[in-house]
Amino acid sequence: MVTSSDDAAELTGLMRACADGDRAAFATLYRRTSDKLFGVCLRMLRERGEAEDALQDVYTNVWRRAGSFDSARAAAMTWLITLARNQCIDRLRRHREEPLDGAAAQQIIDPDPDPPARSQASEERRRLEHCLGTLADQQRQIVRAAFFSGATYNQLADRLGVPLATMKSWIRRSLIRLRTCMEQTEANP
Amino acid sequence: MNTPLDQEPEDLRYAEYVLGVLDADARAAVEREIAADPHAAAEVARWQRCLLPMAEDIPATAPPAHVWTRIESALGMQQTTRRESTRPARVGWWSNLALWRGFAFGAAAVAAACIIALIVLPRATVTPAPAVAYMASTIMQTDGQVGWTATMDLAHARMVVVPAKPQSLPAGRAPELWLIPAGRKPIAVGMIAASGPTTLALDKALVAQLGPTAALAVSVEPPGGSPTGQPTGPVIAKGAIGAAAPGKPVAMLWNPANGRDHA
Repeated sequence: MVTSSDDAAELTGLMRACADGDRAAFATLYRRTSDKLFGVCLRMLRERGEAEDALQDVYTNVWRRAGSFDSARAAAMTWLITLARNQCIDRLRRHREEPLDGAAAQQIIDPDPDPPARSQASEERRRLEHCLGTLADQQRQIVRAAFFSGATYNQLADRLGVPLATMKSWIRRSLIRLRTCMEQTEANP
Repeated sequence: MNTPLDQEPEDLRYAEYVLGVLDADARAAVEREIAADPHAAAEVARWQRCLLPMAEDIPATAPPAHVWTRIESALGMQQTTRRESTRPARVGWWSNLALWRGFAFGAAAVAAACIIALIVLPRATVTPAPAVAYMASTIMQTDGQVGWTATMDLAHARMVVVPAKPQSLPAGRAPELWLIPAGRKPIAVGMIAASGPTTLALDKALVAQLGPTAALAVSVEPPGGSPTGQPTGPVIAKGAIGAAAPGKPVAMLWNPANGRDHA
């Protein structure tokens, strides 16, 4: 993950060069970011061939849509990861509306990240971690499961064996708490 | 239990969109809002800043080298950047440029490619043949010469486009391929190479439009593609799309009910 402001500025410069049609900048951007984005695709799609196809589509979109990147609105890495997540979620919606099998359902809840990973985290990640920490364990794990799996409310409810309304209520309540907490920490960092 | 959730679920749709829990229809609705309403776009961006840091927990994994080769090819970049590639990519038959070059010349090229693809490859790869395997188009220039040939592999949602001979274009301009459904506006398929084969990934919506009533066309555009989403330069070649197996009716080959989408 790119965390330093120098790295972020470099990626912003590469994105702008891509928008101007600079192929060398595009190749550099790929070298600097594709490992992360492939990790995202693998995590969400859980199938190597499909993750490769998704990554290809992500970067062809990066090239074609670099002009719509607005550094005032999002950091380059946030924009790129969003593009990758949206590509994966769209693929999941097209191909996998049916529930996954038992083995996949077992994988839906991830353990919380290891302490070493936390110590390397960005300021934003630490703030989010703090706010996730204000949620009950189960709620926090469901928010993480939703984020990493790209599963719909329906699929999450199926896999965890709870009514749809319960799943929606859990997640919406968690989102409201996160929003409140993030607003507070933004005001008082 | 104290939060009046039922009174404000709409308020959270941007958060739900970013988290990824909405179904396809609800996602599409939010995406339309983002495009039309700066407030919606700002709210989505705010939730991205809030939730995306979770992605830091995902370990980075190097993708195989052939992904970059495919990206270059899909964007029509292989002419200039192939030399910069450090490692040769692992290529399957589909990416075998020599094979496609071999087929690119002569009027029977597409038919030959497709007959071979239909007869030999499904057995060679031991995968079940889908209801519609391949479609093809000969994209004719305005002077009556063959400009490009296109072969569409529907099961893998990709298309190989091969120029019959190297095409000369004005400096700083590049050919862009368009799909034109009958009576509809052109849909951008991708940039193609003027002097070599290009493999393009086709998205699902585009595959659904392929059929005997649609046509392919090539226009001359800036190197990054048309800035407007519609052709801006002259259309230099155009061709109808046909099923790629001689002697079989298109309707039998092209049966949307047998599509691979089981969503």
